[in-house]
Amino acid sequence: MPVTTKNLPQLYRFCFLMTGDPAKAQAAFQDTVREAAERAARDEPAPDRLWFFRDARWRCLALGEQGLQAEEGMMEEADISPSAPAQIEQLTPDQLGVWISAAPEPQRSALALFYLDEFSLAEILSLLELKVGEFSTLIFSGRRQFQAWLDATTPYYEGEAFDARQV
Amino acid sequence: MPDKSDVLVAIAPITEKPGIDRAMRVAIQRARHGKKGAVFAQQQAFDAAVAKLVHEIPVDAQVAEWFVNENLIPMVRRPWKKILLNPAIVAIGLALLVIGGIFAYRVHQHLRDFPGATKARKLLSVASSTRSVMLDPLKTDAGALSDLFYLKHRLEHYDVPPEFAEFKTLGTRVFDHEDVHQVAQIWLAEKRMQFFMFPAEANPKTGRVEDFSDWRFVENEGWTGVVQQRNGVCFMAAIRGGEKLLQPFLEKKKQ
Repeated sequence: MPVTTKNLPQLYRFCFLMTGDPAKAQAAFQDTVREAAERAARDEPAPDRLWFFRDARWRCLALGEQGLQAEEGMMEEADISPSAPAQIEQLTPDQLGVWISAAPEPQRSALALFYLDEFSLAEILSLLELKVGEFSTLIFSGRRQFQAWLDATTPYYEGEAFDARQV
Repeated sequence: MPDKSDVLVAIAPITEKPGIDRAMRVAIQRARHGKKGAVFAQQQAFDAAVAKLVHEIPVDAQVAEWFVNENLIPMVRRPWKKILLNPAIVAIGLALLVIGGIFAYRVHQHLRDFPGATKARKLLSVASSTRSVMLDPLKTDAGALSDLFYLKHRLEHYDVPPEFAEFKTLGTRVFDHEDVHQVAQIWLAEKRMQFFMFPAEANPKTGRVEDFSDWRFVENEGWTGVVQQRNGVCFMAAIRGGEKLLQPFLEKKKQ
């Protein structure tokens, strides 16, 4: 499938989720698109959609290694709450980007690709070079960890979100 | 340990997409209508909310400029010449050429066929395996053997056509071929040529034996035969090689 201007915003969002930093996301995005344009100019086969995201992923990972690294450790998990959608509504995209980009690899890439809602399961597995069971475990635990983080940062009490800034 | 269905349900697509495989569809259906329906609904709502937030990620104005130009990544059109020189295309082309050639050859062969052609080809195989010692020695003109075939073997109309009647024979035999039945075979001095005479075959369309006075060629195993059919009997002159070797004998008579 060829890459069009429809896919490029999604590519940028992927870079943002992977890095959690608009500047790094922009750098990874631009380098990927520039590389694609250069390949096309060299008369090489036009890169497909998966190539863009695969290339961007490695660029984001390389950029991520340059900054502060998240400490590895067991993250708390919690059951998905019925109020999770309301809790998520309280978040900004930046907060989500920071949380996902802090996840260890390959969970970070798995969460970013899954929540982009851009690819089929087969495409995601191809991009991540994971088996379906491995991918499922990463998403399952990622979801529960995110819920635990939500409960800690954005509690929701019967129709009212708790805003820590009001305290 | 989660079963396969649980594994798939955990990664159920956030929005309906074409091409979701059957296993996933079944797992989703079971999750929706099973005991864990409420948990699955919460998971779907959770995923939808996160995906919505992802789509709200603002695209920087500087980055957005990259989207304006639709032709940012030029779609390289591969020239025809390059496509044609692709090894896979060349291989497919050659294969089609060979298949086409064989098909054309078979059609050409079929067009020239006649009801007794199969029998004639079988006798060309006989010609290729026959040794002179297998025949009874007999030195005479080929045209003079009609009486011998009739008197000794009761083979009526087993006549050698005028084109080949003056050829000198070295030997002859009559044998019963399992497919062709009573066959008269003559071994000649000239160019190790062999003559065969055998019962004609009825045309399967009309059910009648239809004679033909023109010469029709058949080939098999490097041998070529030229066949004529008269009075319900086929005469075939067989020679090792191609049609060109037999053509002079046929033209001689015309002159």
